[in-house]
This record gives sequence, C-alpha cells and structure tokens, in this order.
Amino acid sequence: MRRPQKTCGICESGVRVVDFKDERTLSRFLTERGKILPSRLSGTCARHQRQLSTAIKRARQLALLPYIKGFAG
Amino acid sequence: MTRQYEVVYIFDSALEEAAVNERLTRFNALIQQDGVEAPQMNHWGKRTLAYPIKKHETGYYVVAKFDAEAAALPEFERAIKLDEGVLRFLVVVNEGAQPVPVTAGKSEEEDDE
Repeated sequence: MRRPQKTCGICESGVRVVDFKDERTLSRFLTERGKILPSRLSGTCARHQRQLSTAIKRARQLALLPYIKGFAG
Repeated sequence: MTRQYEVVYIFDSALEEAAVNERLTRFNALIQQDGVEAPQMNHWGKRTLAYPIKKHETGYYVVAKFDAEAAALPEFERAIKLDEGVLRFLVVVNEGAQPVPVTAGKSEEEDDE
C-alpha cells in the first residue's frame, strides 16, 4: 500500500529560493549529527532539495551550521 | 553590466564597532560605482560560531547586498583576503528576487529578505 506522498516542507512555507542565512529552517533538514536529511525521509521536492544542499553547505562554511554536531573534539 | 551580489563577512570579535565600519567602507569603496546605490549593510553582531575558526569562538557577522560590475570583484576579494580582521567571507550571486515567505501562523520578527 503506497504511503501518501509527504508534502515538501519548503513548498508549504512558500519560499521559492532557499536562503542560506536563516539556519533555523535549514537545521530542520539536518539529522541530530548535523548531516543533510535525504529527500526520501524529509519529503522535500527535488528542486528544493538541490537548493537546500547548497544552502546548507554555504551555511556550514560560514559557521552558521556545524559540520559535525555533538563532537567532543 | 552589474549583477546583484551578496557577501557575508565574519569579523574578528576583538575588533570594536568603529574598526569594523572602517573596514566596510574601505571594501565598499572598491566596488563603488557612480549611479549605483550604496550596498545595504545588515549587522548581525556578535554570534558564537558553530565551530572555532582560527582559534576564535565568536565572530562579528555583517551581511551586505550590493550591485557590482563583475570586473570589480577580484580586486574586492583580494583586499578582503589580505585583511587579518576578517576571519572568513563568502560572496554569492543573489539568485533573483526573494519573495517574502508567508510563514504559517507565527509572525517572523527578523525580516526574511
């Protein structure tokens, strides 16, 4: 029995271009380890998943998001 | 022809406000053109970094949006690279107009440009 298709979190909020600066919305699409959630789990559409991954990588570079979370380095 | 760029600076938190502004005006002078309005600055202020950069735990974030000639950018970036006060910076081409997202229910207090 096919599960109903999960709606894309970003499409709901009406954002057309994912902004790499608001790390609050970006962190919703990260695992607690800080890795990017695959679209099959987070249900985001392909277009937004591509924008999301570049935005998260830019945010990581600007130290808005950690590369590895909870790492007692 | 001019394109819309967006740059995020992370300044050393040891710098006080005046030094940061002085650097910003110096950088903006490099991309300043007649007829193009000044870049809009958005000071986020001091924030703790997600991971230490150059042994610093906090950084002073400034976001600037401006229109510039593509030719002016290498010089602009070289000047920023030479400056020790800047821990890190990222220049990005601004992809088109950003409609204000309608956030479901709760009012978003910081402006989502």
